[in-house]
Amino acid sequence: MKTHAKAAGILLAGMTAMTALLSGCGANKGANGKTVVEIVQYKPEAVKAFDALEEKFNSTHDDIELVIDSPNDAMTILKTRFIREDYPEIIGIGGDINYSNFLDSDMLMDVSDYPGLADIKESYLKINEELEFVPTDGTYAVPYMANAAGVLYNRDIFEEHGWTIPTTLDEFYELCDDIQEQEILPLYFGFRDTWTCLAPWNAICVDLAPSDICSQVNAGTATFAEAYHDAAEVTKSLLAYAESDPYAYSYNDACTAFARGESAMYVIGSYAVPQIKSVNPDINIDSFVFPASNDAQQNVLNSGNDLQWSVMAGKEDKKEAIYEVLDFLYEDENIQTYLDDQNAVPCKNGDFTLPSMLDGMKSYIEEDRMADYQDHHYPSEMAVDAMIQTFLMDDSENAVDTFLERFDTEWVRYNRDLISKVQKFYEEHPDLLADEPDSEKGGEEQ
Amino acid sequence: MTQTTAMARTAAAARKRDKTHYNWPITILLIVGCVTIFFPLYMAVVIAFKQPSEMTNDIAGALALPTHWSLSNFAEAMRVTDFWHSLGNSFLITAVTVVLAIVLHGLAGYAIGRSMKSSKVYNFLYLYIVSGMFVPFAILMMPLVKQTAQMGIANRIGVIVLYTVFYMPLNLMLYKGYLTNIPLALEEAARVDGATTWKTYWSIVFPIMKPMHATVAVLTAMSTWNDVMTPLVIMSGTGVNTLPLAQLNFQTEFGTNYNLAFASYLLALIPILIFYLFCQKQILNGVVNGAVK
Amino acid sequence: MKGKSSKGAQERKLTFLIITIPVVALFFCFNTLPLIRGFIYSFTNFKGYGSYDWVGLRNYRDLIGDSRVGNSYLFTFKYALVGTILTNVISLVLALGLNSKIRAKSALRGIYFIPNVLGGLVIGYIFSFIFTYVLPTLAQRAGIESLSSSMLSSTGKAWIAIVIVGCWQAIAMNTIIYISGLQTVPEDVYEAGSLDGVTGWKKFRYLTFPLIIPFFSINMVLCMKNFLMVFDQIMALTKGGPSQSTESISYLIYNNGMSGGQFGFQSANAFVFFVVIVAISVFQMTVTNRKEEQL
Repeated sequence: MKTHAKAAGILLAGMTAMTALLSGCGANKGANGKTVVEIVQYKPEAVKAFDALEEKFNSTHDDIELVIDSPNDAMTILKTRFIREDYPEIIGIGGDINYSNFLDSDMLMDVSDYPGLADIKESYLKINEELEFVPTDGTYAVPYMANAAGVLYNRDIFEEHGWTIPTTLDEFYELCDDIQEQEILPLYFGFRDTWTCLAPWNAICVDLAPSDICSQVNAGTATFAEAYHDAAEVTKSLLAYAESDPYAYSYNDACTAFARGESAMYVIGSYAVPQIKSVNPDINIDSFVFPASNDAQQNVLNSGNDLQWSVMAGKEDKKEAIYEVLDFLYEDENIQTYLDDQNAVPCKNGDFTLPSMLDGMKSYIEEDRMADYQDHHYPSEMAVDAMIQTFLMDDSENAVDTFLERFDTEWVRYNRDLISKVQKFYEEHPDLLADEPDSEKGGEEQ
Repeated sequence: MTQTTAMARTAAAARKRDKTHYNWPITILLIVGCVTIFFPLYMAVVIAFKQPSEMTNDIAGALALPTHWSLSNFAEAMRVTDFWHSLGNSFLITAVTVVLAIVLHGLAGYAIGRSMKSSKVYNFLYLYIVSGMFVPFAILMMPLVKQTAQMGIANRIGVIVLYTVFYMPLNLMLYKGYLTNIPLALEEAARVDGATTWKTYWSIVFPIMKPMHATVAVLTAMSTWNDVMTPLVIMSGTGVNTLPLAQLNFQTEFGTNYNLAFASYLLALIPILIFYLFCQKQILNGVVNGAVK
Repeated sequence: MKGKSSKGAQERKLTFLIITIPVVALFFCFNTLPLIRGFIYSFTNFKGYGSYDWVGLRNYRDLIGDSRVGNSYLFTFKYALVGTILTNVISLVLALGLNSKIRAKSALRGIYFIPNVLGGLVIGYIFSFIFTYVLPTLAQRAGIESLSSSMLSSTGKAWIAIVIVGCWQAIAMNTIIYISGLQTVPEDVYEAGSLDGVTGWKKFRYLTFPLIIPFFSINMVLCMKNFLMVFDQIMALTKGGPSQSTESISYLIYNNGMSGGQFGFQSANAFVFFVVIVAISVFQMTVTNRKEEQL
């Protein structure tokens, strides 16, 4: 019998020894009595700016230790951490469907008592309200940075040929024809990375489709087949002005090509600028709003919350420290640090130096003629980006109809639970349906 | 592919003469075929040493050797991927997993393999564990993330435990297969001498299974070393990286700079290539052993 | 096993039991338990976090009509079938070559095994570069119209690129297994055969092949299983594109279940996939076993 005990003993001892050996490395932070505030933010490209801010904060605060993580593929990491019930204090994510989902799952804390909210531009707070599946009373995210999407252009090439900025769709086509005549490629796409298909799509949809179309469809009052018809046709028409076989090239390839002057324009968001500058630091970039409509008044800037801070539910005990961290992040000087690094648009009111490549969009920002990205309402598993890619590759006559028909069916399929939830909510609150949802910003139906 | 003339001779005579009768056409074909193996590796090396300015769209330029050999890409890639730490983690995880696999799976193979003939229960247990080979990792992934976190092993230990379980089906099959060829007589002799089963295993069976240990070690080590998914979902966010995991992060972060990226790919490939160069014979033999059983 | 040693036999049984119980418990805990949990989630609309509802068999019903899941099955099976056949044919030929009387035999064997020791993801990245930049330029030079644009960007050809990379890696292991099979074929079989004047293809078909059928069946089963579970190559080469034409089942499960919010639905998908793989493997083994018995 002793040998059995020994057998089991050795097995156990081995396991325990290993456990002891490895568990010493977990590094539990906060042992020094400081309150630890951990931020996980989803923009790895901003890691340098945030490292600098983290260091600055920690050298000036004795009682709080700030940890900012900027991992790659942060969404997967956040989701696995949520499964583990290992929540950071603050998450920095975009104003998109993930935010809607986290909010819908009661994972975020109401921060409407955060004093800093008063300084945030109203339109960005409103965008977040539109992202709520069912209306709430609280505020669950503090917008930090917005980005804008449209057309980036190479200012040097434009000046050399004396081209001007188009304000209507016809002018845009004319411009593209002119550029092509000079044997320069007007546009370059990186459609191999399917998500880039959404860049022109979003920029066009804000002009041609109502901004709350998704809510309208959920409420059963509209179809995508109607609302997106023009947007789909304009998106497809761009292919004639791009490199052949755009599906062979990735986002990085497209950035590189534009940076090297291989194309005069690039339909993408301001977030691409750092990538482009990393290839060619001297490139002179400016931007303009995509003129998808022939009525110049109807064209609005495609802009949404690129980075916003949400406090996780259940962190009320650290609220003071968390708000102190937020205050720090919103100090003008620190916002400028981020702006200089990332070419973003700050969501806070104030006198900031906007990056020069947003010159062409400035007036829209000042006049508040903006609408959110349509794809912020699309569930990621529906893979609208891949559907657009399929549509663009489809050469048949009725490609538009096929695409939009599929859009409508799949939308219902992927949003079934949400639709029934929304409809149930409005059944219970019929009074709210009257003033909710309607499009407040630009982009009225034609 | 056949060489009937050589085969026709009687064995002894043939062996002597065949020293000079190599099948040259096949040898040459096989050497030419090596191009398919080396070409991708050559590309990786060439690109890893070049500077971005040397990258041209022209094919001759892409295939040409770099104008000067500089290790700066590697230094930068090592810095960004925190190479030595990642290497250390990969090494630790692989080494512990291999040891556990040999100890645990060997024992299990022995206990289950030796009992299968006489017991339906063990027969069932064998099939039960072996069928685990077919479970897609994707379905286990999320429950495992939750489970390891609840047990407080969402770290390197958890990854090692999971590997020990994931490779159990194949290794059990290998050990069991090997044992069927080892006669019971040896163990019985030991038992007559009064040795316990436990002692018999360690003093007689374990040493006999040495070739199979090598096989198990090789197969387990290769799979562990190259695996991304398990550490990705179990250890993500803990700040601890393995080499392939660092690679994955690298890919998204510095995608434009192919030279830097390829330097980091090479860095990920080199340790296992060196290991393979040194232990080539054992590895090939190990794999062969696994196949024959 | 004599009556006298019944005490010894008992001790032996007990030791085996004590070894087996913790191992099986470990296996149960980290394989079966999560599998059961996943199975349970397949009856919910769980997103992976937050609250969820029971939806009964809805996820399974949805599976049948879901075109994306359907396409991923079509793609995965096409890929696995072509991949398995190609890999086995090429590695059998390679093994015959590497087992014949050649110079530098062990060096060549060593070289042909290299792809197997390298990680799938990194290899995928390297090949992705080759398919995007090197191959089209080469094809343009050579005037091969059909290859002058990247294979990875064409819905019709992207899967071939993935097959190439998959085979490139899988052939190594299969070849070694075939070589070890060929080495078990005794010389005198050939001698007997050559006396009867059996040569070339006939020799392989009627003498060599029947003797290595066990190895053939190992290769078929393992190869098929690995190809069916393809993930790394997809991740590195196409991410399921272009236009979702190369979404493998594993990739879809990971992508929509883990990154997207379809965990419940994809758990149902994964469970069905598990049953399918087991069924295929059992079928393969029964067929090859029957063949073995016949011979």
